[in-house]
Amino acid sequence: MQPFAMQSDKNSPFVFPKWVDRTRPALAVVLFGVLPAYLALLLGFAGSPRTTDVGYAPEQPLPFSHALHAGELGLDCRYCHTTVEQASRAAVPPTDTCMNCHAHIRGQSPKLLLVRESHATGMPIPWVRVHDLPDYVYFDHGSHVRRGVGCVDCHGRVDKMDVVRQVEPLSMAWCLDCHRDPDAHLRPLEAVTRMDWVPPQDRAALGRRLREVHRIAPSEDCSTCHR
Amino acid sequence: MSSLSGQGAGKAYWRSLEDLAGSVELRALAEREFPEGVAEEPATSRRDFLKLMGASLALAGATACRRWPVERIVPFAHRPEGYVPGEPVQFATAMDLAGAATGLLVTSYDGRPIKIEGNPLHPSSLGGTDPLAQAALLELYDPDRSTAPLRIARGQQIASSFEDVERFSRELFRQLRERRGEGLRVLSEESSSPSLREMRSRLLRALPAARWHEWEPLTRDAAREGAALAFGRPYRSWLLLDRADVIVCLDADPLMTEPGAVRYARDFARARRAEGGRMNRLYAIEPALSITGASADHRLALSRAAVALVAGRIAAELFLRCGLPLPGGAEELRHALERFERHPFRPPLVTDIVRDLLAARGRAVVLAGPGQPPAVHALVHLLNAALGNAGRTVAYAPDPDPERESHAESISALARDAGAGRVEALLLLGGNPVFDAPADVDFAGALGRVPHTIHLSLYVNETSRACAWHVPRAHFLESWGDARGHDGTLSVVQPLIEPLYDGRSPIELLAHALDDGVTSGYDIVRRTIAPALGGGDFEKGWRRVLHDGLLEGSAWAAETPSPVRPTWAPALAALAEADPSAGPGRVELVFARDLSVYDGRFANNGWLQELPDPITRVTWDNPALVSPSTAAELGVGTGDLVRIRAAAREAEVAVFVLPGLPAGTMTVSPGYGRRAAGRVGDGVGFDVYPLRVGRALWRAEAEVVPTGRRWPIASVQDHHLIDVLGMKERGRRAVRLIREGTLADFLDHPGFAKQARGHEGELPQLYRPWSYEGHKWGMTVDLSACIGCGSCTIACQAENNIPIVGKREVARGREMHWIRVDRYFSGTADSPEVRFQPMTCHHCENAPCEQVCPVGATLHDHEGLNVMVYNRCIGTRYCSNNCPYKVRRFNWFDNHRGLGPVEKMVFNPEVSVRSRGVMEKCTFCTQRIEAARAEAKKQGRPLRDGDVEPACAQACPTEAIVFGDLNDPGSRVRRLQDHPRAYGVLEEIGTRPRLKYLARLRNPAGSESGRA
Repeated sequence: MQPFAMQSDKNSPFVFPKWVDRTRPALAVVLFGVLPAYLALLLGFAGSPRTTDVGYAPEQPLPFSHALHAGELGLDCRYCHTTVEQASRAAVPPTDTCMNCHAHIRGQSPKLLLVRESHATGMPIPWVRVHDLPDYVYFDHGSHVRRGVGCVDCHGRVDKMDVVRQVEPLSMAWCLDCHRDPDAHLRPLEAVTRMDWVPPQDRAALGRRLREVHRIAPSEDCSTCHR
Repeated sequence: MSSLSGQGAGKAYWRSLEDLAGSVELRALAEREFPEGVAEEPATSRRDFLKLMGASLALAGATACRRWPVERIVPFAHRPEGYVPGEPVQFATAMDLAGAATGLLVTSYDGRPIKIEGNPLHPSSLGGTDPLAQAALLELYDPDRSTAPLRIARGQQIASSFEDVERFSRELFRQLRERRGEGLRVLSEESSSPSLREMRSRLLRALPAARWHEWEPLTRDAAREGAALAFGRPYRSWLLLDRADVIVCLDADPLMTEPGAVRYARDFARARRAEGGRMNRLYAIEPALSITGASADHRLALSRAAVALVAGRIAAELFLRCGLPLPGGAEELRHALERFERHPFRPPLVTDIVRDLLAARGRAVVLAGPGQPPAVHALVHLLNAALGNAGRTVAYAPDPDPERESHAESISALARDAGAGRVEALLLLGGNPVFDAPADVDFAGALGRVPHTIHLSLYVNETSRACAWHVPRAHFLESWGDARGHDGTLSVVQPLIEPLYDGRSPIELLAHALDDGVTSGYDIVRRTIAPALGGGDFEKGWRRVLHDGLLEGSAWAAETPSPVRPTWAPALAALAEADPSAGPGRVELVFARDLSVYDGRFANNGWLQELPDPITRVTWDNPALVSPSTAAELGVGTGDLVRIRAAAREAEVAVFVLPGLPAGTMTVSPGYGRRAAGRVGDGVGFDVYPLRVGRALWRAEAEVVPTGRRWPIASVQDHHLIDVLGMKERGRRAVRLIREGTLADFLDHPGFAKQARGHEGELPQLYRPWSYEGHKWGMTVDLSACIGCGSCTIACQAENNIPIVGKREVARGREMHWIRVDRYFSGTADSPEVRFQPMTCHHCENAPCEQVCPVGATLHDHEGLNVMVYNRCIGTRYCSNNCPYKVRRFNWFDNHRGLGPVEKMVFNPEVSVRSRGVMEKCTFCTQRIEAARAEAKKQGRPLRDGDVEPACAQACPTEAIVFGDLNDPGSRVRRLQDHPRAYGVLEEIGTRPRLKYLARLRNPAGSESGRA
């Protein structure tokens, strides 16, 4: 069997014919020029925000502004995302939550038409998912939030966004960065939802202390997030 | 030589007759990882391959530019209070099957049931389930269920609506009411529902001239009649097996097919672990090879007719020789027993049974199965009463429906009246009598003579097609109802989801016919249960019943009825004429319940069809089972089609040769060969109902003629063979997969299982050992407790989104079950002993699969789980090739492709759905570990023993499977792995398995220090 033998003179001891020698410079160009460039491009593309969707900010069915509600008005994240501490999902709030206030405030605003409709008909508001992990990733909000990972660490300054956009790559490498060294991302429990929390001078020391208090030992096993 | 035993190993275990005979084909199968032809693709040249690679690379580049699809988040407009989106919640309900309910807990995920488990509080379950309950979920989401009412005229099905049905039936019932119900018949399945009984009496009060019929093809009427003969009126009986030291089963299968079998299996298994040096002893005398027979300490294979000889002989020796007092005025019975005593047939086992029964008075139980005639049941009741067992190991309560006629009489009376034109309207509440009525009842013909027929059914089945109207039935997971367990415990059947297709339940249909104002199932059930809840706050009591899944203290009050004068003695005496050997050319046809499709109603359930029969390991078929000697006599072998003639009717069935059956019998299980089951069940197997007649539902004299044609049978019995022959140098050292001993062995040498090991000791490791500082997950399987029922397989399939592959793929060895129950025989082909060994990933600490994966797709985690990373897997199958336990499964196809939206609802969202080209295997239910861990963290406590229970362990009726943390010195699994009976399979090769087995114990008579 000679799968790699090209045309060869039956009597020649060489496997490759002579003209192959002339292609050597071209091979060198491919090997040392084209290939590294291709690999660099590939890696660059894989890590680029375009691929990881950093900056993804789809238009939502109604112009809800986190900047207004969480920023100016200073609502706590958990006023709407009630299940974030207990469950794996932070849960987008039911229309009822909106109407708690908007039954009294700006009741006739055309921007709130969809909310009033939903409240009256019981049909949900079809929000567009911004932070979309692959289906084979199983993330648990509660486990992170209850142990001092701030909302802002993954979602960014939502209190300054009129339209929510993705600010972190949400890639596996990015998850693992924190799982390998969580100290820089831990904060006191009372500051978890505080968007404007300023860490103390020695954040690493605080992180180390919090890690001990909450017995945080993030796992890097595949089975932690994939099932 | 058997592939499963080394030379000189004490006991030879074999998987099939081919194995026993040392067939060359099987040898080849064991040596190949995948059967011939499995991996062969159309021949591709290197050039084609490169072209394809180039093209797919280019395409991959093109597709990579696209973001994945936009996903919507649709929150509730009004979220119910306390509802947490995405968190599974469990609700209690119950599943009624032919008049006995099992309490269930159903996991609901965002309003969609995704997993069924047993209700630990319910006495018929105690947390375990049988495969049927596990698989009921797939039935709910079956796309072949009927979705709308149909008007059927001259074979044409015309889509209709509930309004049409109601308009028609309102007019019909108005007319019927005017005639006091003259000409109205209702045909129901057997049901334990008090609400259905209540609706029945309301209907018969409102329409007194109407008549109610009941038909159940796998009827237990013989037992009912037997109790009526013995006690003067019908009694229900149930077992208290936890108190029984000696169990004698005469053609009975209490561990699998009796109502309450799940509970019985648990009670039985608890007394099989030799705790305190005691074990029960099980005798089985049976024509088929049942689950109970497979677990028996002594089993005798006898034709169904000859079982009565043993029953009579045991009674004769007890009453006539051993001085057990015969009830007064029973001269006729004495004469009958004397005839049994004179019969030359006396198996030696009778001596042991009689001795044990006498020694264990009040702690023993004798049982007869539904296939035995009423006189044998009456005799058994008499025996239990005389031995003092009644009230201790077997409890009695008056039958709640004492007036009804037998099922066979009822359906033949209905067909007779219909044929004579005396029936104007027939309401069929479920069932499929056109398919499963006795062959001497021409039910289809009778239906044709009834002007108005309405069939309520989950599917448009054979009977629907012969009716004028079909109404979709609501699944029990979609409708309100109630049911009673095997001991009478009352449960409310609580819906988990709104009816997918707007179906109706039987009580709702009856309410509509009655037209008395209360129409919803919810209101009917509440009305029925109100008296049982007693005084006090009804709502509080109702909520309690819904929450617990049962009404506490609602079991029937047990009484001990006294036997009446045995008028049935002549009937018993007639049974002494039986000849245990059949004539040449003729066989005794034994009807047995199929463990997958029941009476045929689950034929369209792919999980059940693909669940191998525990004994034959056959999937997708119901071959006729014959013993090797009978097969030789008939001149047929496995896969040969034969024509069976019985009662002037014929059926063509494939033969499967199974060891352990009595000579001269052929076992067939009805329910297959459906013509209108759906896409899955149509044309699977053979319809043997035509061989069954009303007067003898369970046995027939038959003539068998080979046809010379063949039929492919997909048996998994020789798939995934664990090959130990390759290690020739260890041939002389016993490499034993199954280790077992008698109770006496165990008491003398508790560590007997460990001595069977090779003598190498711990092998040196090349790889750096892991330290496992946190949890260290492990599992044990107690082979003493496992009865081989297969609940674990289906539970795992439901929990882990395991696909169904179909008969053709099973035949090629591509079944996907993550946990299989290997069945081994030992001994001779005529009277083999049966062993079961659940086999799943051993999560080896030194896993051979991990070391050969070229892409790191299968690796170890810090708690010792051997994890599969589907996204990395490129499908080399090296891991499977290197797995000594043969527990890895490869997705040869995109098995989930093309599923509709309703079918997809069955998936567990906590587990990835695997695609083509990916290897998969048991994960120890890693999603359950993570869920338990998150819950423990939420409560701020460490994980406790019992927090994590994989699906297989949860479903196991006998608690044979135990899972937990090996680093926790107090955990059950730690204690069991330290148990003297614990051993690891193939430990000799240094895999350091995390799954350990507990050696099987048996308690045969004559093992001196062991006692019953």
